[in-house]
Amino acid sequence: MTRACDVFVVDDERVVGDAIALVLRPEGLQVESAPDAESALAHPALAACRLVLCDLMLPGKSGLDAVRAIRALRPGLPIVVITGYPTPAQEDLARAAGATAFLPKPFDDSELLTLVRRVLASTDAAEEERKP
Amino acid sequence: MKPGIGTLAILGVAVVTAAVIGVMSGIILRAHQGALVDQLKRSADQLSETIASSTYHDMLENRRDAVHREIVTIGHQQGIEKVRLFNATGTVMFSSDEAEIGRAVDKNAEACYACHAAGRPLQRLPIHARARIYRAADGHRVLGMIRPIHNERSCWSAGCHAHTREESVLGVLDVNLSMAAADRQIAHDQRQLVLLAVLAIAASSVLLWGLSRQLILRPVAALIASTRRVAQGDLSTSVPATARHELGDLARAFNDMTRRLNEAQRQLAQADKLASVGRLAAGVAHEINNPLTGVLTYASYLERRAAADPETQADLGVIVRETKRCREIVRGLLDFARQTPPKRQPTDLNEVVRRAAAVVANQLALAHVGIGLELERELAPVPADANQIQQVMVNLLLNAADAIAGGETPTGGSIRVRSSSVDVPPRGNVTIRAAACPKGCDLLDPSVRLAGVPTIRVLRRAGEREVLVHLDPVYGRANHRAAEPCEEGVIASYLCPVCRTRLEAAERRCAECGAPLFGVQVARLGVVEWCSRKGCQGTRWEAVEARGPQPYAQLEVEDDGRGITEEEMDRLFEPFFTTKGTRGTGLGLAVTWGIVEGHGGSITVESQPGRGSRFVVRLPFRVPETAPEAADPGQAPAPGRVPMPDARGGAAPRPAPAGDAGGRA
Repeated sequence: MTRACDVFVVDDERVVGDAIALVLRPEGLQVESAPDAESALAHPALAACRLVLCDLMLPGKSGLDAVRAIRALRPGLPIVVITGYPTPAQEDLARAAGATAFLPKPFDDSELLTLVRRVLASTDAAEEERKP
Repeated sequence: MKPGIGTLAILGVAVVTAAVIGVMSGIILRAHQGALVDQLKRSADQLSETIASSTYHDMLENRRDAVHREIVTIGHQQGIEKVRLFNATGTVMFSSDEAEIGRAVDKNAEACYACHAAGRPLQRLPIHARARIYRAADGHRVLGMIRPIHNERSCWSAGCHAHTREESVLGVLDVNLSMAAADRQIAHDQRQLVLLAVLAIAASSVLLWGLSRQLILRPVAALIASTRRVAQGDLSTSVPATARHELGDLARAFNDMTRRLNEAQRQLAQADKLASVGRLAAGVAHEINNPLTGVLTYASYLERRAAADPETQADLGVIVRETKRCREIVRGLLDFARQTPPKRQPTDLNEVVRRAAAVVANQLALAHVGIGLELERELAPVPADANQIQQVMVNLLLNAADAIAGGETPTGGSIRVRSSSVDVPPRGNVTIRAAACPKGCDLLDPSVRLAGVPTIRVLRRAGEREVLVHLDPVYGRANHRAAEPCEEGVIASYLCPVCRTRLEAAERRCAECGAPLFGVQVARLGVVEWCSRKGCQGTRWEAVEARGPQPYAQLEVEDDGRGITEEEMDRLFEPFFTTKGTRGTGLGLAVTWGIVEGHGGSITVESQPGRGSRFVVRLPFRVPETAPEAADPGQAPAPGRVPMPDARGGAAPRPAPAGDAGGRA
């Protein structure tokens, strides 16, 4: 099943969104992106996507605020925090805000793919279980 | 120009000398003058006695001519001014000055007053009361001496019947001596004394000038010049401090101060450099990781898709590899910039080791490095920050892998990791982290470190020589440093370099050689003592010995790589030191050292170049009292504790026991 959007990227660096799309599209995953928290929350793809990749340092509203807002909108949605400043403190804060996983930048295609597949598989499994 | 210390001192001394010599001269002159006058009075009295007795018989027999002759003869001798004889009514009966004969003398006149005061003659007067000094017509002084001639039996019974029995005094003999010679002597003595006083003042001034120039002015001028240089920012300056007096102490204190300032400045610069690196790293990491994400993702994606074109795939592989190298460099900088006090939790170190091994497993496999874990079963949990200790283990494992694979012809090798619990005796292991003299002066010297730990400074006095000694802060290890060596076997005395209090305690003797022990106070942990005999290793720390061996968890990482040379060993834990050329940041072991120190643990290295190295990390099962506790988790990333190069100029902290071993991050 192909949806309008599978993976939603929130990152102010256009190249990051492009790179993620480059790797994930051949896997049959649709990628949409937004450059900041406000436009992400207003983006129609957010309601449909199965996974969010969110940067921590965003212009305007911070990445952590974005994670909290998305978590509030869609409680079960997996959110992976991607950051160029990967510290344990940042990771703790991100998980406290509701992030599912933490992926330090820079990553290569296989690291990204592995993580995305794992997260999607576990959500799919959870959804399967929830089905009557 | 303001008068200098020397001029003021000379003036002061000249005034005091002049006053003292003046008063002394006055007293001496007065005494001398008194003695001369007394002598003259006795001479005059003797002379009057002689005249009285020699004219006695002539008087009895009433031979007036003979008496007159005798008086004239004596009266004209040298130094005798005049001799005369009055009768009881004051008429001059005989005189060497013949013009006077027959004249009457007023009984109230000065010469007569002594006896005739109150209107009645006194009969016996002492010599001083009978003498008088007056000035002659030509101005010179004259001493007059009167002698009453008393009535006696032979006088009133003599045939001449000149005197009756009732008269008490028959007449008065008056002898006058010239004082000219005595006065000349007094004036001469006075001149001589003044001359001597002037000479004494001049000599003391010259001496003082010379002394002040040599002892005060020159050292002070040197101090002023150095102080100005320091004020202008030149902290490498020092002044000659050879003098033993207070100015020598001042010069030594000055040199000590500038040395410490210099050291502090150097450390500040180093800390500043590290802090800048930290801020820079944090900023750069974020900025550079975004473009690196693009490069790495695109390149790895293309590499995977280029399976059909091996040449392109290999080229893309280079991009991927080099981009990953950039990633490691940035992460190293971040780790270094981010060292924080550990957040301690009961931690299973075996689990930490397994996780670290898993993290590096791919890299080890690629480098054909095998890894063997020998983990102690049921190793008790250690209060530690699991993330930090994992970082330590990852760093040590990657270092070991590099030491094996980094050579020109990598042939593979193996790493063994062991965990164990060990009981570590205090000797050779416990670090002295506080030290004070009995009066409370801080003796810890952060400017001179051994293996990154501040040493303890004391002053050693052997004979005439005083030398600053930096004691090894590890109890039981005797890697002390001194500015100059001391002969073996010499028993020196040890002082606080600040207040100079003796550090030897009464009755405390070395158990090994019997020499006195000297000690420093450690907060809450009593006194650490060392033997004062050079070469004797005797030492005692009763409070710590009483606690006995302490349990530590020990992690060993041993490789069979290229080893560490003696030279590398010296700088091993220094930030930015690397043996890996462009492949390392020089921060891995600095970070490792900082983490282990932060846990109150220790890290030591043994190595044989060409054979391999063994890193041993020990972490206490009990949180040491003095170890820094976990700070506020919300704290901003800060550059952590790093080993500072010691005062001898950049040599790195040397871990003990120092041997030699592999590469480092």
